[in-house]
Amino acid sequence: MDKDIKSIEVRDLVKKFGDFTAVNDISFHVFKGEIFGFLGANGAGKTTAMRILCGQSHPTSGEGSVAGFSIVNEQEKIKKHIGYMSQKFSLYPDLKVWENIELFGGIYGLSDKQIAEKTESMLKALDMEKAKDMYVSDIPLGWKQKLAFSIAMVHDPEIVFLDEPTGGVDPVTRRSFWELIYKAASTGVTVFVTTHYMDEAEYCDRVSVMVDGRIEALGSPAELKGRYEAKDMDEVFTKIAGRR
Amino acid sequence: MWKYLLKKEFKQLLRDPGMPRIVMVFPLLIIFVFPFAANMEVRNIKLAVVDNDRSDQSQLLTEKCASSGYFELLDLASSPEEAQRLMDKGGTDAILTINSGFAQYLKTGTDKSDPLPVGIKVNTVNGTRGNIGAQYLNACVSGFLASASGIPAASGGQFEIHETYMYNQHLDYKAFMIPALIVIAVTMMCGFRPALNIVSEKERGTIEQINVTPVRKTTFIVCKMVPYVAVAFFMVFSCLLLSWIVFGYVCKGSLLDIAVFTLAHILAIASFGLLVSNFSDNTQQAMFVIWFFSMVFMLMSGILTPIESMPGWAQDITLVNPLRYFAHAMRAIVLKGCTFADTWPDLAWLLGLGAVTTTCAVASYKKTN
Amino acid sequence: MKEIFAFIQKAFRHIFRDRRTTLIVLVMPIVQIILFGFAISTEVHNAVVDVVGDPGDPVVRNIIDRIDNNKYLSIGEFHNSPSEAEVRIRKGKAKAFLCFESDFDKKFSSQGKAVIQIVSDGSDPNSAQIVMNYIKGVLQSSQVEFSERMFGVGTTSMRPNVQLMYNPAMNSSYNFVPGVMGLILMLICSMMTAVSIVEEKEMGTMELVLVSPVKPFWIILSKLIPYLFLSLINFVSVLLLAHYVMEVPIRGSLTLLSFSALIFVGSSLGLGLLVSVISKTQQTAMLLCGMGLTMPTMLLSGIIFPCESMPVALQVLSDFIPAKWFIIIVKKIMIQGVGLQEIAKELTVLSGMAVFLLWVSVKNFKTRL
Repeated sequence: MDKDIKSIEVRDLVKKFGDFTAVNDISFHVFKGEIFGFLGANGAGKTTAMRILCGQSHPTSGEGSVAGFSIVNEQEKIKKHIGYMSQKFSLYPDLKVWENIELFGGIYGLSDKQIAEKTESMLKALDMEKAKDMYVSDIPLGWKQKLAFSIAMVHDPEIVFLDEPTGGVDPVTRRSFWELIYKAASTGVTVFVTTHYMDEAEYCDRVSVMVDGRIEALGSPAELKGRYEAKDMDEVFTKIAGRR
Repeated sequence: MWKYLLKKEFKQLLRDPGMPRIVMVFPLLIIFVFPFAANMEVRNIKLAVVDNDRSDQSQLLTEKCASSGYFELLDLASSPEEAQRLMDKGGTDAILTINSGFAQYLKTGTDKSDPLPVGIKVNTVNGTRGNIGAQYLNACVSGFLASASGIPAASGGQFEIHETYMYNQHLDYKAFMIPALIVIAVTMMCGFRPALNIVSEKERGTIEQINVTPVRKTTFIVCKMVPYVAVAFFMVFSCLLLSWIVFGYVCKGSLLDIAVFTLAHILAIASFGLLVSNFSDNTQQAMFVIWFFSMVFMLMSGILTPIESMPGWAQDITLVNPLRYFAHAMRAIVLKGCTFADTWPDLAWLLGLGAVTTTCAVASYKKTN
Repeated sequence: MKEIFAFIQKAFRHIFRDRRTTLIVLVMPIVQIILFGFAISTEVHNAVVDVVGDPGDPVVRNIIDRIDNNKYLSIGEFHNSPSEAEVRIRKGKAKAFLCFESDFDKKFSSQGKAVIQIVSDGSDPNSAQIVMNYIKGVLQSSQVEFSERMFGVGTTSMRPNVQLMYNPAMNSSYNFVPGVMGLILMLICSMMTAVSIVEEKEMGTMELVLVSPVKPFWIILSKLIPYLFLSLINFVSVLLLAHYVMEVPIRGSLTLLSFSALIFVGSSLGLGLLVSVISKTQQTAMLLCGMGLTMPTMLLSGIIFPCESMPVALQVLSDFIPAKWFIIIVKKIMIQGVGLQEIAKELTVLSGMAVFLLWVSVKNFKTRL
């Protein structure tokens, strides 16, 4: 983690849909190389906030920057410098594994040579060399998950956003997935992850908890457990979110 | 970037379970099945004869009608009521009633005060069919009267009438229908599919992934459409080729013109489909609405029934129907050999419609909101 | 029994909750019947006929006036040569032109014969024939008048008595509207059913329902009943519009008509069910119904193109389409005004098809899940 550089900075961010305020004046920052857990109940405004950070949505008011680019008017530039992995591990099921890698590599401007190199190293690292020619619809869920993550990183972005990346996957696979995340963070990639699994919150450097559009708590797991006199993040969460 | 997106789209199109097979089958249907069905020629008119005169003359008249080639003669009916029942059942299209006194009538010469004891009844539910049936029967009867009684069918002056049909001397329906059927096929296969494709990416969630990348929305949409345009070209030209090989129909106009029209048409239709899908909550709705419009477009395009036959307000509606222009141009180019000098209004309309729908579609397709 | 009722209730609620789709499904048929009922027609209005000849010539003048007065035809431009007129036809500005011999009047009165050439745009064979027939009709009556005037000969004005049955005004709507009714009813019914059942299959709720103690047959039935209900509403609205807006008569028994409609809807439900059994995704179901059912039904079932005009092979094929039989029934009841006896054959066939389709789909339903 590099505390001198802020990969993500958000100040007084508000997002309204008509009368409904989804994101109600939040402010926080994320350091480079940090693993930041963005927690909250369903409907708390997590997804909306994340979409703004990814350049997919315009803030109603407030400002911020991602990878040094403004979230208000430099959205296309943001997209070039981030990686994203969605809940549904959106790879194309009717394309082969290597074809998916090639597609996203090409989209992010990698040359054919770079794509070939990346493909080789990625598959080796994931131990998926044999699956190179398989259709994504045919590979097991755990592999899809890891592949989606790797592809999100294919262009070596500064920040990678993970939206509930471990949904529907068994605990062992989840564990090994987080090893991938650690590895990425150790190379200086900032990881911004949302999750429902509170045990995963423990793996983060810092977490924030959103309730009804506001950030009710922000700090490292240790700090939060102390503050709320809880033995694990599960209890922390219940205490914060359950208050309403 | 384009290269990779295009690669993806082509691969997905070819791997789609239904697409390649249908693309192969459709041209065959268009050449070998549909043109034979899409025919309004009046043929095989069923004729029942009620002969109350039972004379040599009435028999001769019956034979004349039977041998004219227009009719399919049924067994003689014994009474007008029976014949009428038969018509009610749909068993006959026309009834010729020769009443008693027919032979007598023929003998009495030119000055007639009594009406001719011959009656013709035709089923005019299908007006054209009934009308033509009546005309043929009339002609047979007059011809018979002229030859049998020595009275010329038309004495005095006669117009010697020569009939010619331009472009299609033998009134071959197939030649007329094939270019238009191609339009229908292309519209169904390539027009609306791109939009449905995008909707399904929405539902699968892969579109979310693309939205986060630097890919611009115009790029994405255009790349989606390119394979379909390719398929459209394939269909158009393979159909034309097949119709030449099988029927010997030559395309009298320029193939390049056809290519331009195909492109303009796909643009208009695909962007329209996209527009619909942008405003639909889910795939089901999008599909229903698109189906509705494709029916309207197909039936109100002049392909199956002429635009001139429609009431004024309906003709106005067809002004915003891309198929109208494409079909009209196709027929003009293929059958009449028209060039841009003649077809430019169609192209102008088509491009105009396309421009409007494309702008609206791209604007309403939001990557960011 | 109570459970089945619960299922039916649930199915109803499910449909009406999706307001937009319900709206689409109820409103679409209304819009379609109005559009197509009026727009699908083969009647010729104001066909433009150009003239190559001397407008000063009295006989020519007379003919031209008659043509202009004819409600189907109207005179266009005058030309000095056929090639000029041909250009007009190529551009589609005229449907035909008449070419009169020079010194027409003189030739006619002195020689008793004069040549008229009728050149018609053959690219649309159907309109060409109709226009040709109208022109010839005008020429014939003109010829009669002139012969009488010039030669004092009463030509055989002996004509048979012609009765145009069922549709004397020869409204083409009588011919097409029943077809449109059948088309709309069938497509919407089968599409609705197919798509929504597949949707449940996709969502997985179908499996849930099938493990309940209620027999699959009843479950399927409970699914079909709301669509039966919706289709009957569609039938009523379509019929009302056909009768009051398009003025198609209902000469026969309304009860019989409704009963036949019920059976036809049954066969369409069966088709929809069959499609849902075969399809894995909503898109496939939609494509199968939208293209697989729409095209053959539109082209082969006699809606637009008469079955009698088709080659035998296609006529046999059309026998397998339920819509064909229903349309015959509708035409017979509404326009010909006949009763049960006359439609017995068609009704039996239709019922047989309905039963067969339902039986096959129900049988394969569970196994194909």
